[in-house]
Amino acid sequence: MIQAIRRAALALGAGAAIAAFLRLRGSGGIPPQSGGWRELSGPDMD
Amino acid sequence: MVRVAIVGAGAVGARAARQLLATAAVDEVVVRDTHRAVAEAVVRSLGPGAVAADSAERVAPDADAVLLATPYGHHLDLARDALIREMPVVSVSDDVDDVRALLRLDSRARTCGVPLVVGAGFMPGLTGVLARHGARSFDTLLEIHVAKMGTGGPACARQRHRALGDAGEDWRDGAWVRRPGGSGRELCWFPSPIDAHDCYTGALPDTLLLQSSFAEVERITSRMAATRRDRLTMHVPMLRSPHPEGRAGAVRVELRGVRRGVSTTMVLGAVHPPAVAAGTVAALAITWLLAGRIHEPGAAALAAMVEPTPFLAELGARGLATEVFEGLDAAG
Repeated sequence: MIQAIRRAALALGAGAAIAAFLRLRGSGGIPPQSGGWRELSGPDMD
Repeated sequence: MVRVAIVGAGAVGARAARQLLATAAVDEVVVRDTHRAVAEAVVRSLGPGAVAADSAERVAPDADAVLLATPYGHHLDLARDALIREMPVVSVSDDVDDVRALLRLDSRARTCGVPLVVGAGFMPGLTGVLARHGARSFDTLLEIHVAKMGTGGPACARQRHRALGDAGEDWRDGAWVRRPGGSGRELCWFPSPIDAHDCYTGALPDTLLLQSSFAEVERITSRMAATRRDRLTMHVPMLRSPHPEGRAGAVRVELRGVRRGVSTTMVLGAVHPPAVAAGTVAALAITWLLAGRIHEPGAAALAAMVEPTPFLAELGARGLATEVFEGLDAAG
């Protein structure tokens, strides 16, 4: 019984650690740190 | 008298009709819709120069050009009808099956000696033209990634719901890779005030059209913005009727390649109500057809048929501004 609880706790802990790693590492992109949008005009249209 | 037949009097067809009547190149638009009352209401709002189609013909037989702005599923038959009469066609369909079938009409369009412009809306349409415009800046273009946010009229909203639930295809290293709808989350930054939205794969025809126009590019993807609720309900029928017309939408085109030996990224975009933007792009495509500026017979994407920079300049003059993101190098 104790062995099963330990295994379950270990599995939950490992799952949480992996989820936290993926969450923190993320893949959602980095917001632009500088710059911005500007309208295409003038030399852009040559 | 120059006459344009418009099939489909929804949000896009009505906008395109208004734009066409505002140009000197068009004398009359013949509006047809499966709901005749809708066509008549649009004609009344347009005023002089607009008439509702009254014949049993699906496409006005004496038109100089045809604009197909119906919901998905009707474009192939209508395009065939127009090609038989040797009339040039512009289609705004954003359905994968429609687009694939229309591109297969290439040899028939060549035989008839008329252009068949496929995907002439906001996305697909403007996105492809932006990609071709941006591609000029690269020595070697390697990747194209497009995304859109927002919908036009109810038919557009239904098509978006359907597309999100269906698998999409990415072009990767010379092969098509199937992706489940609603997968592949990516945070895409659109021009302000739309800004950042999570975007996902779906059954979008843009990859197909872009690949046909940029055969040498290694990777092409297309995504659309969606919320958690959109993804939760994407496999069930729409739970409520779509709104009459969506608010502002946006498109984004990211190009990656090599310029003067350096890996470079360029991001282009536009913000506009999607139906208005699609109507503007379609109307300009018709105007270019009538002026002979689109003249090559055959079926192809809009981007492959127009000179991109003058086309974007004319769109800008009609109020559809396009933008470029500056500062990518600093942002890393």
